[in-house]
Amino acid sequence: MNEPESAFDRSVRRTQWVLAGLAVLFVTGIVTWIAHLIRTAWRLGDVLSASIGISLVAIPVFLTLGGVIVYVFVGLLTDRSAR
Amino acid sequence: MSDAIVERDRALFGPLSETGRGFYLTVGVLGLAILWGAIAYAVQWSEGLGVTGLHQPVSWGFYVTNFVFFIGISHAGTLISAILRLSKAEWRRPITRMAEVITVMVLFIGAGQILVDLGRPDRMMNVIQYGRYQSPLLWDATSISAYLTASTFYLYLPLIPDIAILRDHLGKRRWLYAVLALGWRGTERQWKILNRAIAIMAVLVIPIAVSVHTVVSFVFSMTIQPMWHSTIFGPYFVAGAIFSGIAAIIVAMGIIRRIYRLQSYLKPIHFRYLGQLLLVMTLLWFYLTFAEYLTGYYGNEPEEMKVFWSKFTGPFWPFFWAMVVANFVIPMVLLVRLRHHAVGKTVVASAFVVVGMWLERFIIVVPTLSNPRLPFPEGQYWPTWIEWGELAASFGVFILFYVLFVKLFPIISIWEIQEGRDVGLKEVEERLLTYLPDGAADAAMPEREKVLT
Repeated sequence: MNEPESAFDRSVRRTQWVLAGLAVLFVTGIVTWIAHLIRTAWRLGDVLSASIGISLVAIPVFLTLGGVIVYVFVGLLTDRSAR
Repeated sequence: MSDAIVERDRALFGPLSETGRGFYLTVGVLGLAILWGAIAYAVQWSEGLGVTGLHQPVSWGFYVTNFVFFIGISHAGTLISAILRLSKAEWRRPITRMAEVITVMVLFIGAGQILVDLGRPDRMMNVIQYGRYQSPLLWDATSISAYLTASTFYLYLPLIPDIAILRDHLGKRRWLYAVLALGWRGTERQWKILNRAIAIMAVLVIPIAVSVHTVVSFVFSMTIQPMWHSTIFGPYFVAGAIFSGIAAIIVAMGIIRRIYRLQSYLKPIHFRYLGQLLLVMTLLWFYLTFAEYLTGYYGNEPEEMKVFWSKFTGPFWPFFWAMVVANFVIPMVLLVRLRHHAVGKTVVASAFVVVGMWLERFIIVVPTLSNPRLPFPEGQYWPTWIEWGELAASFGVFILFYVLFVKLFPIISIWEIQEGRDVGLKEVEERLLTYLPDGAADAAMPEREKVLT
Protein backbone atom coordinates (compact mmCIF):
# COMPACT_ATOMS: atom_id res chain seq x y z
CA MET A 1 0.00 0.00 0.00
CA ASN A 2 1.26 3.50 -0.82
CA GLU A 3 2.18 5.73 2.09
CA PRO A 4 0.23 9.01 2.22
CA GLU A 5 2.19 11.95 0.81
CA SER A 6 3.51 14.43 3.35
CA ALA A 7 2.87 18.17 3.01
CA PHE A 8 6.54 18.55 1.98
CA ASP A 9 6.18 15.97 -0.80
CA ARG A 10 2.94 17.54 -1.98
CA SER A 11 4.47 21.00 -2.23
CA VAL A 12 7.50 19.59 -4.06
CA ARG A 13 5.32 17.70 -6.53
CA ARG A 14 3.09 20.71 -7.19
CA THR A 15 6.09 22.94 -7.78
CA GLN A 16 7.57 20.39 -10.19
CA TRP A 17 4.39 20.38 -12.26
CA VAL A 18 4.31 24.19 -12.19
CA LEU A 19 7.90 24.18 -13.50
CA ALA A 20 6.91 21.77 -16.26
CA GLY A 21 3.98 24.02 -17.14
CA LEU A 22 6.19 27.11 -17.22
CA ALA A 23 8.70 25.40 -19.52
CA VAL A 24 5.92 24.44 -21.92
CA LEU A 25 4.41 27.93 -21.66
CA PHE A 26 7.79 29.47 -22.50
CA VAL A 27 8.26 27.39 -25.65
CA THR A 28 4.63 27.88 -26.70
CA GLY A 29 5.01 31.62 -26.09
CA ILE A 30 7.99 31.86 -28.43
CA VAL A 31 6.25 29.86 -31.15
CA THR A 32 3.16 32.08 -30.77
CA TRP A 33 5.36 35.18 -30.97
CA ILE A 34 6.95 33.96 -34.21
CA ALA A 35 3.49 33.21 -35.62
CA HIS A 36 2.42 36.72 -34.57
CA LEU A 37 5.35 38.22 -36.51
CA ILE A 38 4.29 36.29 -39.62
CA ARG A 39 0.73 37.56 -39.19
CA THR A 40 1.98 41.14 -38.73
CA ALA A 41 4.13 40.89 -41.88
CA TRP A 42 1.13 39.51 -43.78
CA ARG A 43 -1.22 42.19 -42.49
CA LEU A 44 1.23 44.98 -43.40
CA GLY A 45 2.29 43.39 -46.72
CA ASP A 46 5.84 43.51 -45.34
CA VAL A 47 7.99 40.85 -47.12
CA LEU A 48 6.06 37.87 -45.87
CA SER A 49 8.54 35.47 -47.49
CA ALA A 50 11.34 36.52 -45.08
CA SER A 51 9.16 35.89 -42.04
CA ILE A 52 8.02 32.52 -43.34
CA GLY A 53 11.57 31.53 -44.35
CA ILE A 54 13.02 32.19 -40.90
CA SER A 55 10.00 30.67 -39.17
CA LEU A 56 10.36 27.46 -41.15
CA VAL A 57 13.65 26.91 -39.36
CA ALA A 58 12.83 28.46 -35.99
CA ILE A 59 9.43 26.93 -35.23
CA PRO A 60 10.47 23.26 -35.68
CA VAL A 61 13.54 23.87 -33.49
CA PHE A 62 11.40 25.24 -30.67
CA LEU A 63 8.80 22.50 -31.08
CA THR A 64 11.54 19.85 -30.88
CA LEU A 65 12.91 21.51 -27.74
CA GLY A 66 9.40 21.63 -26.29
CA GLY A 67 8.93 17.94 -27.14
CA VAL A 68 12.12 16.92 -25.32
CA ILE A 69 11.20 19.06 -22.31
CA VAL A 70 7.75 17.48 -22.06
CA TYR A 71 9.23 14.00 -22.56
CA VAL A 72 11.66 14.46 -19.65
CA PHE A 73 9.30 16.21 -17.24
CA VAL A 74 6.35 13.88 -17.81
CA GLY A 75 8.55 10.78 -18.04
CA LEU A 76 10.38 11.43 -14.78
CA LEU A 77 7.49 12.84 -12.80
CA THR A 78 5.11 10.01 -13.65
CA ASP A 79 7.61 7.20 -13.16
CA ARG A 80 6.31 4.72 -10.60
CA SER A 81 8.54 1.79 -11.49
CA ALA A 82 10.60 0.04 -8.84
CA ARG A 83 14.26 0.84 -8.52
CA MET B 1 23.93 5.81 -4.10
CA SER B 2 25.53 4.63 -0.89
CA ASP B 3 27.25 6.83 1.67
CA ALA B 4 30.53 5.05 0.89
CA ILE B 5 30.38 6.30 -2.70
CA VAL B 6 29.57 9.82 -1.52
CA GLU B 7 32.54 9.58 0.82
CA ARG B 8 34.75 8.66 -2.12
CA ASP B 9 33.91 11.93 -3.91
CA ARG B 10 33.80 14.09 -0.80
CA ALA B 11 36.01 16.70 -2.46
CA LEU B 12 33.18 17.47 -4.87
CA PHE B 13 30.83 18.28 -1.98
CA GLY B 14 33.30 20.67 -0.36
CA PRO B 15 32.25 23.83 -2.22
CA LEU B 16 28.58 23.04 -1.48
CA SER B 17 28.85 22.53 2.25
CA GLU B 18 31.68 24.82 3.32
CA THR B 19 31.73 28.58 2.89
CA GLY B 20 35.01 30.27 3.61
CA ARG B 21 35.99 33.92 3.91
CA GLY B 22 37.21 33.88 0.31
CA PHE B 23 33.65 33.33 -0.89
CA TYR B 24 32.32 36.44 0.84
CA LEU B 25 35.33 38.47 -0.26
CA THR B 26 34.82 37.40 -3.89
CA VAL B 27 31.12 38.17 -3.75
CA GLY B 28 31.90 41.57 -2.20
CA VAL B 29 34.39 42.54 -4.90
CA LEU B 30 32.08 41.33 -7.66
CA GLY B 31 29.22 43.20 -6.00
CA LEU B 32 31.24 46.42 -6.25
CA ALA B 33 31.83 45.87 -9.97
CA ILE B 34 28.13 45.18 -10.48
CA LEU B 35 27.22 48.28 -8.45
CA TRP B 36 29.46 50.36 -10.72
CA GLY B 37 27.61 48.96 -13.74
CA ALA B 38 24.22 49.57 -12.13
CA ILE B 39 25.05 53.21 -11.38
CA ALA B 40 26.40 53.64 -14.91
CA TYR B 41 23.22 52.20 -16.37
CA ALA B 42 21.03 54.38 -14.17
CA VAL B 43 22.87 57.46 -15.49
CA GLN B 44 22.57 56.21 -19.06
CA TRP B 45 18.85 55.49 -18.58
CA SER B 46 18.16 58.98 -17.33
CA GLU B 47 20.52 60.94 -19.64
CA GLY B 48 20.45 58.76 -22.77
CA LEU B 49 23.28 57.25 -24.82
CA GLY B 50 24.90 60.69 -25.10
CA VAL B 51 26.75 59.99 -21.85
CA THR B 52 28.61 57.14 -23.54
CA GLY B 53 31.32 57.38 -26.17
CA LEU B 54 28.82 56.24 -28.81
CA HIS B 55 28.23 59.01 -31.32
CA GLN B 56 27.91 59.19 -35.09
CA PRO B 57 29.45 57.57 -37.02
CA VAL B 58 30.62 55.10 -34.32
CA SER B 59 27.28 53.98 -32.92
CA TRP B 60 28.47 50.52 -31.84
CA GLY B 61 31.28 50.24 -29.31
CA PHE B 62 31.86 48.28 -26.12
CA TYR B 63 28.30 46.98 -25.85
CA VAL B 64 28.25 45.30 -29.24
CA THR B 65 31.85 44.14 -28.75
CA ASN B 66 30.78 42.54 -25.45
CA PHE B 67 27.72 41.04 -27.11
CA VAL B 68 29.75 39.29 -29.80
CA PHE B 69 32.44 38.31 -27.30
CA PHE B 70 30.10 36.75 -24.73
CA ILE B 71 27.98 34.98 -27.32
CA GLY B 72 31.24 33.61 -28.72
CA ILE B 73 32.40 32.33 -25.34
CA SER B 74 29.08 30.52 -25.02
CA HIS B 75 30.19 28.11 -27.72
CA ALA B 76 32.55 26.63 -25.25
CA GLY B 77 30.22 24.87 -23.38
CA THR B 78 27.57 23.22 -25.21
CA LEU B 79 29.51 22.67 -28.36
CA ILE B 80 32.60 21.21 -26.70
CA SER B 81 30.54 19.25 -24.22
CA ALA B 82 28.16 17.92 -26.88
CA ILE B 83 30.94 16.91 -29.25
CA LEU B 84 32.90 15.17 -26.52
CA ARG B 85 29.75 13.45 -25.26
CA LEU B 86 28.70 12.27 -28.71
CA SER B 87 32.18 11.01 -29.52
CA LYS B 88 32.23 9.24 -26.14
CA ALA B 89 35.52 10.86 -25.18
CA GLU B 90 36.00 9.51 -21.66
CA TRP B 91 38.22 12.37 -20.53
CA ARG B 92 35.24 14.72 -20.86
CA ARG B 93 33.67 13.60 -17.57
CA PRO B 94 35.11 16.20 -15.15
CA ILE B 95 34.90 19.12 -17.58
CA THR B 96 31.54 19.00 -19.35
CA ARG B 97 29.54 20.70 -16.62
CA MET B 98 31.99 23.58 -16.25
CA ALA B 99 31.65 24.16 -19.97
CA GLU B 100 27.86 23.94 -19.95
CA VAL B 101 27.59 26.41 -17.07
CA ILE B 102 29.77 28.92 -18.93
CA THR B 103 27.44 28.68 -21.90
CA VAL B 104 24.27 29.45 -20.01
CA MET B 105 25.77 32.27 -17.91
CA VAL B 106 27.40 34.12 -20.78
CA LEU B 107 24.39 33.81 -23.03
CA PHE B 108 22.34 35.76 -20.51
CA ILE B 109 25.07 38.38 -20.27
CA GLY B 110 25.61 38.55 -24.04
CA ALA B 111 21.92 39.01 -24.74
CA GLY B 112 21.77 41.61 -21.95
CA GLN B 113 24.34 43.76 -23.78
CA ILE B 114 21.79 44.48 -26.48
CA LEU B 115 19.32 45.73 -23.89
CA VAL B 116 22.01 48.00 -22.44
CA ASP B 117 22.81 49.26 -25.94
CA LEU B 118 19.23 50.34 -26.62
CA GLY B 119 18.90 54.10 -26.90
CA ARG B 120 15.27 53.99 -25.83
CA PRO B 121 14.79 50.91 -23.66
CA ASP B 122 11.26 52.12 -22.87
CA ARG B 123 10.37 51.21 -26.46
CA MET B 124 11.70 47.67 -26.25
CA MET B 125 8.22 46.17 -26.34
CA ASN B 126 7.85 47.56 -29.87
CA VAL B 127 10.50 45.10 -31.04
CA ILE B 128 8.45 42.23 -29.65
CA GLN B 129 5.16 43.56 -30.92
CA TYR B 130 6.21 44.81 -34.35
CA GLY B 131 9.49 43.00 -35.00
CA ARG B 132 10.40 42.51 -38.67
CA TYR B 133 11.95 39.25 -39.74
CA GLN B 134 13.79 40.95 -42.58
CA SER B 135 16.24 42.24 -39.99
CA PRO B 136 19.21 40.02 -39.07
CA LEU B 137 18.93 41.54 -35.59
CA LEU B 138 15.69 39.66 -35.11
CA TRP B 139 17.25 36.47 -36.51
CA ASP B 140 19.79 36.94 -33.75
CA ALA B 141 17.10 37.29 -31.11
CA THR B 142 15.43 34.09 -32.34
CA SER B 143 18.57 31.98 -32.62
CA ILE B 144 19.91 33.16 -29.26
CA SER B 145 16.55 32.33 -27.64
CA ALA B 146 16.72 28.84 -29.13
CA TYR B 147 20.32 28.41 -28.00
CA LEU B 148 19.61 29.70 -24.50
CA THR B 149 16.64 27.36 -24.12
CA ALA B 150 18.55 24.39 -25.50
CA SER B 151 21.71 24.97 -23.51
CA THR B 152 19.85 25.63 -20.25
CA PHE B 153 18.03 22.35 -20.67
CA TYR B 154 21.24 20.63 -21.75
CA LEU B 155 22.89 21.85 -18.55
CA TYR B 156 19.92 20.78 -16.44
CA LEU B 157 19.49 17.23 -17.76
CA PRO B 158 22.82 15.78 -16.60
CA LEU B 159 22.40 17.70 -13.34
CA ILE B 160 19.27 15.76 -12.33
CA PRO B 161 20.99 12.64 -10.87
CA ASP B 162 23.48 14.87 -9.04
CA ILE B 163 20.69 17.01 -7.61
CA ALA B 164 19.07 13.81 -6.34
CA ILE B 165 22.36 12.90 -4.62
CA LEU B 166 22.39 16.33 -2.96
CA ARG B 167 18.74 15.94 -1.95
CA ASP B 168 19.52 12.63 -0.26
CA HIS B 169 22.90 13.38 1.26
CA LEU B 170 23.66 17.08 1.67
CA GLY B 171 21.14 17.94 4.40
CA LYS B 172 20.85 21.54 3.16
CA ARG B 173 18.42 23.28 0.79
CA ARG B 174 16.39 20.07 0.69
CA TRP B 175 13.25 21.63 -0.80
CA LEU B 176 15.17 23.19 -3.68
CA TYR B 177 16.97 19.95 -4.50
CA ALA B 178 13.79 17.89 -4.09
CA VAL B 179 11.96 20.10 -6.60
CA LEU B 180 14.78 20.15 -9.14
CA ALA B 181 15.47 16.40 -8.86
CA LEU B 182 12.06 15.73 -10.50
CA GLY B 183 11.48 12.66 -8.33
CA TRP B 184 14.70 11.04 -9.51
CA ARG B 185 15.23 7.59 -7.97
CA GLY B 186 17.56 6.15 -10.57
CA THR B 187 15.11 3.56 -11.92
CA GLU B 188 15.86 1.85 -15.19
CA ARG B 189 13.06 3.80 -16.90
CA GLN B 190 14.35 7.13 -15.58
CA TRP B 191 17.88 6.38 -16.80
CA LYS B 192 16.49 5.44 -20.21
CA ILE B 193 14.54 8.72 -20.45
CA LEU B 194 17.48 10.79 -19.27
CA ASN B 195 20.07 9.19 -21.55
CA ARG B 196 17.78 9.46 -24.56
CA ALA B 197 17.03 13.14 -23.83
CA ILE B 198 20.73 13.96 -23.31
CA ALA B 199 21.57 12.26 -26.62
CA ILE B 200 18.85 14.20 -28.49
CA MET B 201 19.94 17.49 -26.94
CA ALA B 202 23.62 16.82 -27.68
CA VAL B 203 22.74 16.40 -31.35
CA LEU B 204 20.40 19.38 -31.38
CA VAL B 205 22.66 21.94 -29.70
CA ILE B 206 25.54 21.56 -32.15
CA PRO B 207 23.73 22.98 -35.22
CA ILE B 208 21.97 25.54 -33.02
CA ALA B 209 25.32 26.70 -31.63
CA VAL B 210 26.83 26.97 -35.11
CA SER B 211 23.77 28.84 -36.38
CA VAL B 212 23.89 31.31 -33.48
CA HIS B 213 27.33 32.62 -34.26
CA THR B 214 26.75 32.52 -37.99
CA VAL B 215 23.70 34.68 -37.42
CA VAL B 216 25.70 37.00 -35.16
CA SER B 217 28.12 37.45 -38.06
CA PHE B 218 25.17 38.20 -40.39
CA VAL B 219 24.49 41.34 -38.34
CA PHE B 220 27.74 42.65 -39.82
CA SER B 221 28.12 40.85 -43.14
CA MET B 222 24.59 41.57 -44.37
CA THR B 223 25.56 45.25 -44.53
CA ILE B 224 27.87 46.63 -47.22
CA GLN B 225 30.16 48.31 -44.73
CA PRO B 226 33.89 47.99 -45.53
CA MET B 227 35.49 44.88 -44.02
CA TRP B 228 32.13 43.60 -42.78
CA HIS B 229 30.63 42.52 -46.10
CA SER B 230 32.45 39.21 -46.24
CA THR B 231 31.41 35.73 -47.28
CA ILE B 232 33.65 34.02 -44.72
CA PHE B 233 32.35 35.98 -41.73
CA GLY B 234 30.13 33.04 -40.71
CA PRO B 235 32.90 30.44 -40.36
CA TYR B 236 35.30 33.13 -39.12
CA PHE B 237 32.96 34.00 -36.26
CA VAL B 238 32.21 30.37 -35.44
CA ALA B 239 35.92 29.47 -35.37
CA GLY B 240 36.64 32.50 -33.18
CA ALA B 241 33.78 31.55 -30.90
CA ILE B 242 35.00 27.99 -30.41
CA PHE B 243 38.53 29.32 -29.90
CA SER B 244 37.50 31.77 -27.17
CA GLY B 245 35.14 29.18 -25.69
CA ILE B 246 37.87 26.58 -25.22
CA ALA B 247 40.11 29.24 -23.70
CA ALA B 248 37.37 30.25 -21.27
CA ILE B 249 36.86 26.63 -20.17
CA ILE B 250 40.58 26.18 -19.53
CA VAL B 251 40.76 29.38 -17.46
CA ALA B 252 37.69 28.30 -15.45
CA MET B 253 39.20 24.82 -14.95
CA GLY B 254 42.49 26.30 -13.78
CA ILE B 255 40.82 28.59 -11.24
CA ILE B 256 38.38 25.97 -9.91
CA ARG B 257 41.09 23.33 -9.67
CA ARG B 258 43.22 25.61 -7.54
CA ILE B 259 40.56 27.20 -5.34
CA TYR B 260 38.61 24.02 -4.58
CA ARG B 261 41.67 21.74 -4.60
CA LEU B 262 40.29 19.45 -7.29
CA GLN B 263 43.68 18.37 -8.62
CA SER B 264 42.69 14.72 -8.49
CA TYR B 265 39.75 15.35 -10.83
CA LEU B 266 41.18 17.99 -13.17
CA LYS B 267 44.47 16.40 -14.12
CA PRO B 268 47.24 17.68 -16.37
CA ILE B 269 45.99 15.35 -19.09
CA HIS B 270 42.70 17.27 -19.29
CA PHE B 271 44.63 20.49 -19.77
CA ARG B 272 46.91 18.82 -22.30
CA TYR B 273 44.02 17.56 -24.42
CA LEU B 274 42.20 20.88 -24.30
CA GLY B 275 45.52 22.65 -24.92
CA GLN B 276 45.95 20.63 -28.09
CA LEU B 277 42.45 21.59 -29.20
CA LEU B 278 43.29 25.21 -28.43
CA LEU B 279 46.44 24.93 -30.52
CA VAL B 280 44.42 23.65 -33.47
CA MET B 281 41.96 26.51 -33.05
CA THR B 282 44.86 28.99 -32.81
CA LEU B 283 46.06 27.87 -36.23
CA LEU B 284 42.55 27.85 -37.68
CA TRP B 285 41.82 31.31 -36.28
CA PHE B 286 45.08 32.61 -37.73
CA TYR B 287 44.33 31.12 -41.12
CA LEU B 288 40.80 32.58 -41.25
CA THR B 289 42.07 35.99 -40.08
CA PHE B 290 44.74 35.85 -42.78
CA ALA B 291 42.16 34.85 -45.41
CA GLU B 292 39.80 37.61 -44.29
CA TYR B 293 42.46 40.34 -44.59
CA LEU B 294 44.03 38.86 -47.72
CA THR B 295 40.77 39.00 -49.68
CA GLY B 296 40.22 42.63 -48.63
CA TYR B 297 43.80 43.57 -49.52
CA TYR B 298 43.66 41.75 -52.86
CA GLY B 299 40.43 43.56 -53.82
CA ASN B 300 42.12 46.87 -52.96
CA GLU B 301 38.81 48.69 -52.77
CA PRO B 302 39.54 52.22 -51.44
CA GLU B 303 36.97 52.16 -48.63
CA GLU B 304 38.09 48.70 -47.53
CA MET B 305 41.74 49.74 -47.57
CA LYS B 306 41.04 52.72 -45.33
CA VAL B 307 39.74 50.38 -42.65
CA PHE B 308 42.49 47.86 -43.40
CA TRP B 309 45.30 50.37 -42.83
CA SER B 310 43.58 51.91 -39.82
CA LYS B 311 43.99 48.50 -38.20
CA PHE B 312 47.50 47.70 -39.41
CA THR B 313 49.25 51.05 -38.99
CA GLY B 314 46.53 53.58 -38.15
CA PRO B 315 44.90 54.49 -34.85
CA PHE B 316 43.87 50.90 -34.12
CA TRP B 317 47.31 49.31 -34.57
CA PRO B 318 47.95 48.71 -30.84
CA PHE B 319 44.72 46.73 -30.54
CA PHE B 320 45.28 44.83 -33.78
CA TRP B 321 48.84 43.76 -33.01
CA ALA B 322 48.01 43.02 -29.37
CA MET B 323 45.28 40.74 -30.73
CA VAL B 324 47.76 38.94 -32.99
CA VAL B 325 50.23 38.48 -30.14
CA ALA B 326 47.56 37.30 -27.66
CA ASN B 327 45.70 35.03 -30.07
CA PHE B 328 48.57 33.60 -32.06
CA VAL B 329 52.13 34.29 -30.93
CA ILE B 330 51.74 33.51 -27.21
CA PRO B 331 49.51 30.43 -27.64
CA MET B 332 51.86 29.04 -30.29
CA VAL B 333 54.89 29.46 -28.06
CA LEU B 334 53.18 27.98 -25.01
CA LEU B 335 51.11 25.20 -26.54
CA VAL B 336 53.53 23.62 -28.97
CA ARG B 337 55.10 21.52 -26.23
CA LEU B 338 52.83 20.46 -23.42
CA ARG B 339 54.76 17.57 -21.99
CA HIS B 340 55.76 19.57 -18.90
CA HIS B 341 53.78 22.23 -16.96
CA ALA B 342 50.68 21.58 -19.08
CA VAL B 343 48.36 23.22 -16.56
CA GLY B 344 50.28 26.47 -16.21
CA LYS B 345 51.01 26.81 -19.91
CA THR B 346 47.46 26.17 -21.09
CA VAL B 347 45.91 28.46 -18.46
CA VAL B 348 48.28 31.34 -19.32
CA ALA B 349 47.78 30.83 -23.07
CA SER B 350 44.02 30.71 -22.56
CA ALA B 351 43.96 33.89 -20.49
CA PHE B 352 45.76 35.64 -23.35
CA VAL B 353 43.31 34.18 -25.88
CA VAL B 354 40.32 35.45 -23.87
CA VAL B 355 41.79 38.98 -23.91
CA GLY B 356 42.85 38.61 -27.55
CA MET B 357 39.41 37.51 -28.65
CA TRP B 358 37.79 40.48 -26.91
CA LEU B 359 40.23 42.69 -28.84
CA GLU B 360 39.34 40.83 -32.04
CA ARG B 361 35.65 41.62 -31.55
CA PHE B 362 36.53 45.27 -30.83
CA ILE B 363 38.73 45.41 -33.95
CA ILE B 364 35.86 44.09 -36.06
CA VAL B 365 33.21 46.46 -34.68
CA VAL B 366 34.82 49.86 -34.21
CA PRO B 367 37.32 50.57 -37.07
CA THR B 368 34.68 49.96 -39.76
CA LEU B 369 32.29 52.43 -38.16
CA SER B 370 35.11 54.94 -37.65
CA ASN B 371 35.72 54.90 -41.43
CA PRO B 372 32.22 54.84 -42.93
CA ARG B 373 31.60 54.08 -46.59
CA LEU B 374 29.20 56.99 -46.96
CA PRO B 375 30.71 60.50 -47.11
CA PHE B 376 30.47 61.16 -43.38
CA PRO B 377 33.43 62.52 -41.47
CA GLU B 378 35.64 59.91 -39.85
CA GLY B 379 34.99 59.34 -36.17
CA GLN B 380 36.87 58.25 -33.08
CA TYR B 381 35.51 56.17 -30.26
CA TRP B 382 36.52 56.76 -26.68
CA PRO B 383 34.49 54.79 -24.16
CA THR B 384 33.44 56.75 -21.08
CA TRP B 385 33.24 55.52 -17.48
CA ILE B 386 29.72 54.34 -18.32
CA GLU B 387 30.92 51.71 -20.79
CA TRP B 388 33.84 50.71 -18.56
CA GLY B 389 31.31 50.27 -15.76
CA GLU B 390 29.11 48.05 -17.92
CA LEU B 391 32.16 46.03 -18.98
CA ALA B 392 33.22 45.53 -15.34
CA ALA B 393 29.66 44.65 -14.35
CA SER B 394 29.30 42.16 -17.20
CA PHE B 395 32.39 40.25 -16.12
CA GLY B 396 31.31 40.69 -12.50
CA VAL B 397 27.87 39.19 -13.14
CA PHE B 398 29.40 36.30 -15.09
CA ILE B 399 31.87 35.42 -12.33
CA LEU B 400 29.26 35.94 -9.61
CA PHE B 401 26.77 33.62 -11.35
CA TYR B 402 29.52 31.06 -11.73
CA VAL B 403 30.55 31.30 -8.08
CA LEU B 404 26.92 30.96 -6.95
CA PHE B 405 26.40 27.96 -9.21
CA VAL B 406 29.43 26.26 -7.69
CA LYS B 407 27.95 26.99 -4.25
CA LEU B 408 24.62 25.35 -5.13
CA PHE B 409 25.48 22.50 -7.50
CA PRO B 410 28.46 20.19 -8.07
CA ILE B 411 30.67 21.77 -10.71
CA ILE B 412 32.01 18.32 -11.60
CA SER B 413 29.37 15.75 -12.44
CA ILE B 414 29.39 13.24 -9.58
CA TRP B 415 27.38 10.53 -11.32
CA GLU B 416 29.40 10.78 -14.51
CA ILE B 417 32.61 10.33 -12.56
CA GLN B 418 31.05 7.31 -10.81
CA GLU B 419 29.87 5.94 -14.13
CA GLY B 420 33.37 6.38 -15.55
CA ARG B 421 34.82 4.36 -12.69
CA ASP B 422 32.13 1.67 -12.67
CA VAL B 423 31.39 1.00 -16.32
CA GLY B 424 33.59 3.36 -18.33
CA LEU B 425 36.67 1.14 -18.34
CA LYS B 426 34.73 -1.91 -19.47
CA GLU B 427 32.83 0.08 -22.09
CA VAL B 428 35.99 1.59 -23.54
CA GLU B 429 37.53 -1.84 -23.84
CA GLU B 430 34.45 -3.24 -25.58
CA ARG B 431 34.18 -0.19 -27.85
CA LEU B 432 37.85 -0.41 -28.76
CA LEU B 433 37.37 -3.98 -29.88
CA THR B 434 34.49 -2.93 -32.13
CA TYR B 435 36.75 -0.34 -33.83
CA LEU B 436 39.44 -2.88 -34.65
CA PRO B 437 39.30 -4.89 -37.90
CA ASP B 438 37.41 -8.20 -37.93
CA GLY B 439 39.27 -10.94 -36.18
CA ALA B 440 41.30 -8.55 -34.07
CA ALA B 441 38.81 -8.88 -31.24
CA ASP B 442 39.15 -12.67 -31.18
CA ALA B 443 42.91 -12.44 -31.48
CA ALA B 444 43.03 -9.95 -28.64
CA MET B 445 40.88 -12.08 -26.37
CA PRO B 446 43.43 -14.69 -25.27
CA GLU B 447 46.00 -11.96 -24.67
CA ARG B 448 43.51 -10.02 -22.58
CA GLU B 449 42.56 -13.06 -20.63
CA LYS B 450 46.23 -13.74 -20.02
CA VAL B 451 46.67 -10.23 -18.68
CA LEU B 452 43.57 -10.47 -16.53
CA THR B 453 44.58 -13.79 -15.05
